[in-house]
Amino acid sequence: MTDQVEIAVVGAGPGGLSAALAAAQAGAQVGLIDDYSQPGGQYFRQAATELRVGRPMRHQSEGRALWERVSASGVRLFAETVVWGEFEGNLLGLHGPQGAVFVQARAIILATGAYDRPVAFPGWTLPGVMTAGAAQALLKQQRILAGRRVLLAGTGPLQIVLAGELVRAGANVVAVLEGSRFYAKALSHAGALWGQWGRLAEGLSNRLAILRAGVPYRPGWGIVAAHGTDQVESVTIARLDPQWRHIRGSEETLHCDTLCLGYGFIPSSTLSRLLGPRHEWRPDLGGEIPQRDRHMQTSVPGIFAAGDGAGIGGGPLAMLEGRIAGTAAAAALGHGAVDAERRIQHLARALTRERRFQRMYAALFTPGPGLYEWSRDDTVLCRCEEVTQAEVRRAVSLGTDSTNEVKAVVRCGMGDCQGRMCGHLVAHCIARETGRPIAEVGFLRPRPPIFPVPIVALGRQVEAEEITSGAMSETDRR
Amino acid sequence: MTRVGTSAEIERGQAITITVDGHPVPAYAGETIAGALLASGRRAWRHTRHGQPRGLFCGIGLCYDCLVTVNGTPNVRACQTPVAAGMVVDTQGTP
Repeated sequence: MTDQVEIAVVGAGPGGLSAALAAAQAGAQVGLIDDYSQPGGQYFRQAATELRVGRPMRHQSEGRALWERVSASGVRLFAETVVWGEFEGNLLGLHGPQGAVFVQARAIILATGAYDRPVAFPGWTLPGVMTAGAAQALLKQQRILAGRRVLLAGTGPLQIVLAGELVRAGANVVAVLEGSRFYAKALSHAGALWGQWGRLAEGLSNRLAILRAGVPYRPGWGIVAAHGTDQVESVTIARLDPQWRHIRGSEETLHCDTLCLGYGFIPSSTLSRLLGPRHEWRPDLGGEIPQRDRHMQTSVPGIFAAGDGAGIGGGPLAMLEGRIAGTAAAAALGHGAVDAERRIQHLARALTRERRFQRMYAALFTPGPGLYEWSRDDTVLCRCEEVTQAEVRRAVSLGTDSTNEVKAVVRCGMGDCQGRMCGHLVAHCIARETGRPIAEVGFLRPRPPIFPVPIVALGRQVEAEEITSGAMSETDRR
Repeated sequence: MTRVGTSAEIERGQAITITVDGHPVPAYAGETIAGALLASGRRAWRHTRHGQPRGLFCGIGLCYDCLVTVNGTPNVRACQTPVAAGMVVDTQGTP
């Protein structure tokens, strides 16, 4: 089955919802594709519809209101649906509740968001060690606590937000470890905070909440190892130097049943890399991101990208980028083209302010290179295929020097997650071993299906190709 | 690990029971399989081919570490799949 839409928006977080709304309001026919049962992404993650809550959590009301506007604008939602591949001419392969569906789009807006940066250290695969996003999703969607004694380790103000939410929900937060000694650099970036009163007030209120709860906040500390047999029981922590390397002799052990990792975000760029636009390596923006012009268009005409998937910048920036991308994509197809440029210029002014905040955030909270040295030789880097650091190093010693070559030798990145978890870990390991810059070592080349789909879905693809390319010959069939 | 809040603040969905490895596990409509497992105190529910325990990691459907078999269908993401009355969940792999 092949559906037609004018604009396919991939991802229904702040960027995707804003893009879909702007494009639909301009008069374009829009399909919005999202992996989750409810639109909103991580930023706007909603409580389950079966749950009645007295007070919504952070951003939930705003997200609900935005979705209602999107829904009223006639956007067609493909929920619980992944985009697993792309074929010649913007034909997207989808898999969802209806099984395999193909969507033919004239333009594509990627708003794929981001995920918590995986960090490898001894014991990081133990149950109870999870991303900060996992704990937050449980709380926002289901009002379930990830654990009773929770240690938060990571960087950035979102850690304090999560700590406050966990404390209010009744968890015992053992400590918040902040990798960055950000206060040492904060003064030189104070200018970018001018006018950010809402953010400052929120940060202060969260900081006070955990102070009142007696949660120790420890800047300049990180993780050495998680311990336990069937689940995490304790964590060894250490002071970090300015490069985020462990300072020997500073180790302490904390007891906890849950360790949440919040070391910033990695842009979900698998689909954009599959689609072929030019990408660049930007550690300050989370990793490998598509290059874009001021209309949020990538180097491939008709393919746009907005939000964290095109460089970490947070919800408000994603919404601005989404509105620009939606307006520009619709205008390129002849919808609302008359005043599109005026609207984009208006949005661009707000974008400039938001980018200043983004730069300050990156300067204060981008992890140091030592973060990728917390793994040891027996530490698993690829969780799916259980490939250790020693195996990656051995592959390098055999003469491979890029992630794609190492993947071919030891299978890291070939598992179900398709390298989303191990990609950066393996790339950093190879860069360190070979002394080559990370941009040269490169990142795992995406291959469809970029999400696991039942073989039946791929079977349907063959049928679709038969239809478009004419029946296969009798010889081909045998 | 535990469900949050009092009945005044939060009203959960309908109370149901799912079966996990042959044992009944209480759950509420609107929860995911991973949520119900964690709320019942279970942290590990998959074992890798090397026998290593795994549970919830990314929690947002990307890492595929939390896979379970649901009503006979293998490799279903526990973190993304809502519970349903009478659902039969089997964990994957052996320690």
